[in-house]
Amino acid sequence: MAENKSDLTFESVKIGDPLGPSEFHLSKDQVRAYARTTGMWVPRFTDDEAARKEGLPGMITPGNMSLAILSKLVTDWIGASGAQLTRMGTTYRQPVLPDHAITLQGFVTDKNESNHTAEMDIWLENEDGERLVIGTATVHFPR
Amino acid sequence: MSTTLDLHSHSEASEDSRAPLEAYLNWLKLRSTERPVDGIVLTEHRQFNQNADYRALEDKFGMLVLKASEVETDYGHVLVFGVTEEMTRRFDFANVRLPAQEVIDEIARMGGAAIPCHPGRPNVGLCEHYTKKPPLENVIAVEVLNGGSRKGEDERSEALVQQYGYRAIGGSDSHLVSLIGLCATRFDAEIRTTEDLVRELRGGAYEPVDFRPRRKPVPQAIAVEVK
Amino acid sequence: MAVDYDPAIIGRVFETTDPLPVTAEMVKNFCSAIGESNPIHIDAEAAKKGPYGGITAPPSFAVTFRNGQHFFQHVPRYGKQGFDAGKDVEFVGPIRPGDAISLSSHVKEIYEKTGRTGSMVFVIVRSTLTNQNGEVVAHVDHKFMNRT
Repeated sequence: MAENKSDLTFESVKIGDPLGPSEFHLSKDQVRAYARTTGMWVPRFTDDEAARKEGLPGMITPGNMSLAILSKLVTDWIGASGAQLTRMGTTYRQPVLPDHAITLQGFVTDKNESNHTAEMDIWLENEDGERLVIGTATVHFPR
Repeated sequence: MSTTLDLHSHSEASEDSRAPLEAYLNWLKLRSTERPVDGIVLTEHRQFNQNADYRALEDKFGMLVLKASEVETDYGHVLVFGVTEEMTRRFDFANVRLPAQEVIDEIARMGGAAIPCHPGRPNVGLCEHYTKKPPLENVIAVEVLNGGSRKGEDERSEALVQQYGYRAIGGSDSHLVSLIGLCATRFDAEIRTTEDLVRELRGGAYEPVDFRPRRKPVPQAIAVEVK
Repeated sequence: MAVDYDPAIIGRVFETTDPLPVTAEMVKNFCSAIGESNPIHIDAEAAKKGPYGGITAPPSFAVTFRNGQHFFQHVPRYGKQGFDAGKDVEFVGPIRPGDAISLSSHVKEIYEKTGRTGSMVFVIVRSTLTNQNGEVVAHVDHKFMNRT
């Protein structure tokens, strides 16, 4: 993930290129830190007991935090190349539970010569390979 | 000559998909070894575009592109193959509570094939409805392999097929470019048109095929801590 | 089958929020919470040499702004439980510490579908984020899912 990709250019990017996979453990404290700093300090994002009372399996990750983690998958891929994340669409399909291993993954799926952009699929999956959050992103490359 | 088709896919015409058709076909070219399909069937949600014409893209990629629809009924979601204007007049495809038995019987009468998809999925699949209501009649096949299935859902679908003797199809249910062709259906016969497809679904020989990569075992150790 | 709502609400701006100041601390805490370590977002010296000549917030900071206090007076709700079903974001320009961001929002679309959890009505609200110079920095489409 922290690999230096400053040599990434529109020309070097190929359809089928992978982003990730990047596997990590999302801790409850990290989710609470996100909830605190973004004004989302509500029980379902901070407390297991209170979340269960809402019918959830335990505290869940805010959808916007999943979006942030996925956008980081893209911006880490961009690195210092000067390219820009210009668009991102996400669907939050299923709650993301902290304290589980999650995997972020993506693929370049299209390139647009006239816009100098690349399109990519991105998603976040759990240990069972279920895609909990899916989306797409557009990256613009400088000429 | 056999034909392998992904019978369940959503292009950007479906509100929750982000995949352009051309990118789907390009991806299948790129992954032709891992996902050897001859074409796809677009099953856009709750709609059917009679006028859409994909011949130029079919020629460009040498791949079959057929049109169908995924409608929503009181027994869950149903794929409708061989959609005609008579069918879209008879049923409001945007209605999310269509009567499933009528859909199955009427679509068959009008020359199509209505096949319940992802039966193992909660609420929108047959299995859950069969625990509360009598089983549907005249079901010819159901989708037992679905690329969007969660853990246990395909297994429930397979059990349903075993219990009721339905035939089985497969489809990716892809909403993203890179997920196209992960599940498909292999037909003994050659299929070139929607008429061929409906005829084979109703009376031909076919089986679901799974091109999903085998999952590697989940590592116990945690790779990276993002902190 | 149509969902019941007043078609006049589609496209009409229902609220523009007061500008919300973006502080350096907000950006710093956000970066820390998502594990962001890119110097252009956290290191003032390094960011000076970056594309914007100073620290910018990570793109996903754009979805953290509230839609305003009167949101549910203007946006129809269906059923009992509401969930965030996703966001579509256009990142137009950078958000920096010291900016003041206001949101202007309208209902873009309302439709019904069924899924694993039952019947759902989706309400899509589009918010345009503008900074203190009147520059649009982002468009955010919020997909609100109501279980009916």
